[in-house]
Amino acid sequence: MNIFFILLSAIALSSALGVILMRNPIHSALCLIVNLVAIAGYFALLNAHFLALVQIIVYAGAIMVLVVFVLMLLNSKLEEQKSAGLFMLVVSSVFAVMFIVHMSKIYGAEFSTSGVASASLQGTVANLGRVLFTQYVFSFEASAVLLMAAIVGAAMLAKTTPERPRGDGERV
Amino acid sequence: MAGVGVLVLFVKGFIVQQLTLGLASFCTWVERKGSALIQDRVGANRAGAFFEVGDLLKTDNVLLQPIAFVVRTLVLAPTLALVRFLGVLGVINTLLNDALKALLKEDFIPEGTSPFLHAMGPFMAVAPVFLAYAVVPLAPDFVVAGYTIRPQVVELNAGLLFLLAMGSLAVYGVILAGLTGNNKFSLLGALRASAQMISYELAMGTTFATLVLVYGSLDLYEIVMAQAGSVMNWGILHGTGIVSFIILFVVGMAETKRGPFDMPESESELVAGYFTEYSGMKFLLFWLGEFAEIALFSLILTIFFFGGWHIPFVSLPEGVWWAALVGHAVLIGKVLFFCVLQIVIRWTLPRFRYDQLMDLGWKILLPLSLVNLVVAAVIELSLK
Repeated sequence: MNIFFILLSAIALSSALGVILMRNPIHSALCLIVNLVAIAGYFALLNAHFLALVQIIVYAGAIMVLVVFVLMLLNSKLEEQKSAGLFMLVVSSVFAVMFIVHMSKIYGAEFSTSGVASASLQGTVANLGRVLFTQYVFSFEASAVLLMAAIVGAAMLAKTTPERPRGDGERV
Repeated sequence: MAGVGVLVLFVKGFIVQQLTLGLASFCTWVERKGSALIQDRVGANRAGAFFEVGDLLKTDNVLLQPIAFVVRTLVLAPTLALVRFLGVLGVINTLLNDALKALLKEDFIPEGTSPFLHAMGPFMAVAPVFLAYAVVPLAPDFVVAGYTIRPQVVELNAGLLFLLAMGSLAVYGVILAGLTGNNKFSLLGALRASAQMISYELAMGTTFATLVLVYGSLDLYEIVMAQAGSVMNWGILHGTGIVSFIILFVVGMAETKRGPFDMPESESELVAGYFTEYSGMKFLLFWLGEFAEIALFSLILTIFFFGGWHIPFVSLPEGVWWAALVGHAVLIGKVLFFCVLQIVIRWTLPRFRYDQLMDLGWKILLPLSLVNLVVAAVIELSLK
C-alpha cells in the first residue's frame, strides 16, 4: 500500500473523529477542514488533480470559512454534556447497523475498472472539460442553472428593503 | 532512476524555498529602507556600520605575525568593509538584528486560548504562500548530464487552480489569529481581513478564468512559453490584457492586505489587527508570509503579463544552462520591480475606508472582471 495513502488515511480518520469528539465547535470545524484537505489528498493520489484542487477551493476554502465565520460571530459556548434520549439512541443505532452492513459488503468486493480512462488522461483538466461539455453537457448546464437560481434566491432573501423616511426624513 | 528523480525534486524544493525567503527578505529591506527614503528619513543605518579591523588578530608571537597579517588584509578587512557597507544600507539591521531580537523575545500566549491553535495561526498564514511557489516556473528548461530539468517543483496541469486553492487556505491563518487572540481588536481585524480576502478572491478567480481562456492552459510554464517571441505576444498587450493586469494588480494589493487596503491592521483603530496578540518570531512570521505573498503576486503578474523570462527582441538558445540562468535573472529582475512598486504604493497612498474597499471589490472589480471575461472570449473567438 502506498505510504501516502496510509498517512492520508491516518489524518482523515483522526480528524473525522476530532469533528465529532471535540467539545468546542470551533475545534470541530477546524478538524473538518483538515479532513476535507485529506480527502483532497486522496483525489490527488488518484491523479484527479482538478478534483483535488476544486475540493480545497470549494469545501476547505469557501464553505468552511462560512462555517467558521458563523461560529466565531455567534460566540458559541462549549457544548453541554447531555445524555442522548431514547429516540436518538434508536436512530443512531439503526444508522450504525446500516453502515456496518454496507462496509462489510464493500470489503473485499471487486470493482469494475473498464469504464476508467487510461492513466495518462485521467483527471487532466482538458480531459475533464471535454467530457463535461460533450457527454454530460445537459446535466452540467442544468446544475449551472440551479446554482444561478440559488445565488439569485440568496441575494433576494438577503436584500433588505430600505425603510421609507418619515416626518423630517429621520429613519425609523 | 527514481532516486535521481527524488533527489532533483528535493533540490528544486530547497532552491525554491531559499528563493522565497530571499525575495521576502528583499521586500523586508525595501520596506524598511525604502519607506525611510519616501518619508525623507535616514532609516536603519547603524548596525554593523562601525565595524573596523582595529586590534583584531594582533599578536606578539613572531611566527604567527605574517599569517595574522595576511588574514587581516585579505579576509578580515574586505569582509568588514562589506559589513560596513551593508550596515549603512540597513541590511544588517533588518535581516539579522531584527530576526535575532524576535527570536529572543518572550513568546506571549494570551490567557484562555489553546496554545496549539495560537501557534497554528502564523503557520497557516505562511505555509500556503510557500506551497504556492511550488507550481511557479522560475526559468526555461535546461539539460544537465542528459536530464532535462524543468525549474518548477511540481509540474501540475492545474497549476493556476493550485494558486487559487492556496490563496483560499491562507484565510485560515488570519481567522485563527483573530480567534485565539481572545481580544476584540484581533477579532475585528480578522473579520475585516477575511472578508476582504474572500471578496477580492471573486475578482481574482474571474480574472484567472479570463487568462485561462486567453492562454488555453492552466499550466504556468505553458503560459510563459505562449509569450515567447516579440513583445506583442506578452499578456499585457494581448486582447484585454491591460484590463486583466489592472484588476489582478489591485486584487494582489488587497489580498496581501497591504497598501491602501490595510484596514485589517490599521494601527490607529485596531492596534495591529489580527496579530495584536502575537510577539517575537510568531509576529515576524506574519510579516514573512505577507512579504512572500507580495513576491508571489509579483511573480504571477510577471508570468501572466510580462513574458516571464522572455527578453524583448532577444531569443535565448533553448536547453542550455546559461540561458536558463539568464532567463531566471530576467524573471527575478521583473519580479523585484513589481515588489518595489507595491511597496512604493503602500507608502504613498492613504488608507481607504472599509465601505470604499467593499465597494471597490464588489461593485467595480467584480463586474469589470466579468465584462472582461466576456470581451476576452469574444476577441479570442474572432482571432481564431
